[in-house]
Amino acid sequence: MQTKMPPPTLTRRRFTQLSGMALGSLAIPEAARAATAPDVSLVIAPYTLEASPKHHIKTVAYNGQVPGPLFRMREGQEQTVEIRNMAGDAEVVHWHGLFLPPEIDGAMEEGTPMIAPGASAHYKMVPRPAGFRWYHTHTFAGKNLTKAQYSGLHGFLLVEPRDNPAPYDREVFLGLHDWRGQFLGSDDGFMAPTYDVTTINGKMLGFGEPVKVKQGERVMMHILNSSPTEVHWIALAGHTFQVIALDGNQVPEPQTVAMLRLAPAERVSAIVEMNNPGVWVLGEVRKHVQATGMGIVVEYANSTGKPAWTQPQELIWSYRAFAKTDNTGLSPETRKIELIFDSKFQGHGNEELWRINGLPYPQNSTPEHAPLLKSGERYRLVMRNKSMDDHPIHLHRHTFEVKRLEEGAEIAGLRKDVVLVPAGKTVEVEFVANNPGDTLFHCHQQDHMDRGFMMVFKYA
Amino acid sequence: MRDLTIKLLAKVALAMMALLCVRSAAAQGNYEIQVYGAATVPPKTLMTELHSNYTIQGQKFNINGVIPTNHQEHETIELTEGMNNWSEIGFYIFTSEQDGHGVQWVGDHIRPRVRAPDSWHLPVGLSLSTEVGYQRAVYSPDTWTWEIRPIIDKTLGRWYFALNPALERTWHGPDIHQGLGFSPGAKVSYDFTRAVSAGFEYYADYGRLGAFDALHTQQQQFFIVTDLNTSPKWEINAGIGVGPTAGTDHLLVKGILGRRFDWGHHSNIE
Repeated sequence: MQTKMPPPTLTRRRFTQLSGMALGSLAIPEAARAATAPDVSLVIAPYTLEASPKHHIKTVAYNGQVPGPLFRMREGQEQTVEIRNMAGDAEVVHWHGLFLPPEIDGAMEEGTPMIAPGASAHYKMVPRPAGFRWYHTHTFAGKNLTKAQYSGLHGFLLVEPRDNPAPYDREVFLGLHDWRGQFLGSDDGFMAPTYDVTTINGKMLGFGEPVKVKQGERVMMHILNSSPTEVHWIALAGHTFQVIALDGNQVPEPQTVAMLRLAPAERVSAIVEMNNPGVWVLGEVRKHVQATGMGIVVEYANSTGKPAWTQPQELIWSYRAFAKTDNTGLSPETRKIELIFDSKFQGHGNEELWRINGLPYPQNSTPEHAPLLKSGERYRLVMRNKSMDDHPIHLHRHTFEVKRLEEGAEIAGLRKDVVLVPAGKTVEVEFVANNPGDTLFHCHQQDHMDRGFMMVFKYA
Repeated sequence: MRDLTIKLLAKVALAMMALLCVRSAAAQGNYEIQVYGAATVPPKTLMTELHSNYTIQGQKFNINGVIPTNHQEHETIELTEGMNNWSEIGFYIFTSEQDGHGVQWVGDHIRPRVRAPDSWHLPVGLSLSTEVGYQRAVYSPDTWTWEIRPIIDKTLGRWYFALNPALERTWHGPDIHQGLGFSPGAKVSYDFTRAVSAGFEYYADYGRLGAFDALHTQQQQFFIVTDLNTSPKWEINAGIGVGPTAGTDHLLVKGILGRRFDWGHHSNIE
């Protein structure tokens, strides 16, 4: 089921024109198409995003909008999927956070077929687990910072739970993204993308429709960081967030916090009590990032005036706050997998070559090097980050439990599919190998993925 | 006694820099030997550099009242302040130390520089520097000079390329009627590791634009250099160079030790 989101008028027209051309070329009778209309239909096509009247970004998008359409599905209810690729490059759609077979999970490294330009893919999928998921492209960008996750190919997916984790009056979906990246050598010569434009739901601050709220409402905000490379810090002036779920999974210890930190691909679901009437900015905490556009206006009914922003003075966030303390330690049945992250210098004019256990992908994913999982076994991934960068690590087709964050006691109950492993630190997570098939493990930073930071876990 | 101490300290500093190995290159009559890169110093940042150059084999005779360069030790302090994210201004204090002359102030230069902003998305680094200054006649017959220096650079994998096709003009001195002189510099280096780069630098003064001097009177210098990228706060360069023409000092060593000072207030947020 697709929920419409307000797209820009001008570009919607372009999308309709493109879609009409495509449908005409397929020459499928309208009645026949209607009879077989899929539950999920995605058209991948070129698109011009109007982030502001002065910022038009040529990109590729789903169904002529950025973010793509919001899909709502019932957990366990089969969905028919049709994906048509009208873009110039082969594409694949990854259903991030779902327990799907590798053939349709959406990563060619696992065996999902790429969709050639002009071709379509049709399949059925059973969405689970419930929670705030998302879908996005899973291709290679290299030095072209307009492709893959640098593009507009991302969208929200909500797999509806049977029961809401907390009562709320309405939902708002917010997607953070960075655009117009370029590689700049920093002072020490390392290459890191920087961005000229940042957006929430495809618009720069002041140029999108405000989020309209009423006093007394409890608004569930589902926030996604779809940035190709950047961690973002988000605050809503005059308000706090009660964090209910991380990466779509309910946290054991909901907390009220002043700001949210989202690494690339992370999601936060938080309730905001609308108890401070006015016109406010929800935006990036760091001024230099907000200045490039990352913000959206939150407007109470019957309130007018210039949106207000209150500048926080500290960046505060900890996974630990949302977890339970656990002193049980590593159970004897749990098998350890040691994973060391580092990089190989390739010149100040090149990005690093990223390695797991001393090898980049695909050399690290051969039978002699890749971890071999046994179905039903519990594994602990001990991720030692020896590099000077933080890495948002994602495990496909599974959910893991964060167990150790270097400092302090072990924790429990925090289930995620992406975890940020800070530079020089070790993070440990556990998961049950309960979804046989090739399983991709990688850093969700596009430039790191492109430079070898992936590994395929095999099942025995 | 004081001179001896300074001389000793200068030689120790040079020896240390040679030991540390360093990088870089030449303008200003062997007082600052450096091929410029296109990047500018960030705003609210002060870059301090000490250029230490010693002429092992140079001009041995007093010509037209100019002190011979042989065995001259040049210590130059360079202070560069970032104005914004595309401009900077630099200031130089030139000194010379030599047996029989002691430590002498030679002159000062000021050097504003602008660069193409990142938002232009140029495929190469591009900036434009201009430099005006005075030097005493006993060290340079042309006392007031002006230079304009386009700077182009590019990093390709482990390779770094920089070109400085500089033009010079004398405002006061014997060459005042010579018009624009062509004084290019160039650099090619290779990153052997994350911390160590090495390569070649080239400096020349061809004479008047459109009517170059004969080769043997041109200045032509070739340096083998190394750069140490040990920290974003530090710049460490060293090199040894030869001048094969009659118009050039024949053998020099050079070093640069630089330190960035960030004096802007940065909140924890930023």
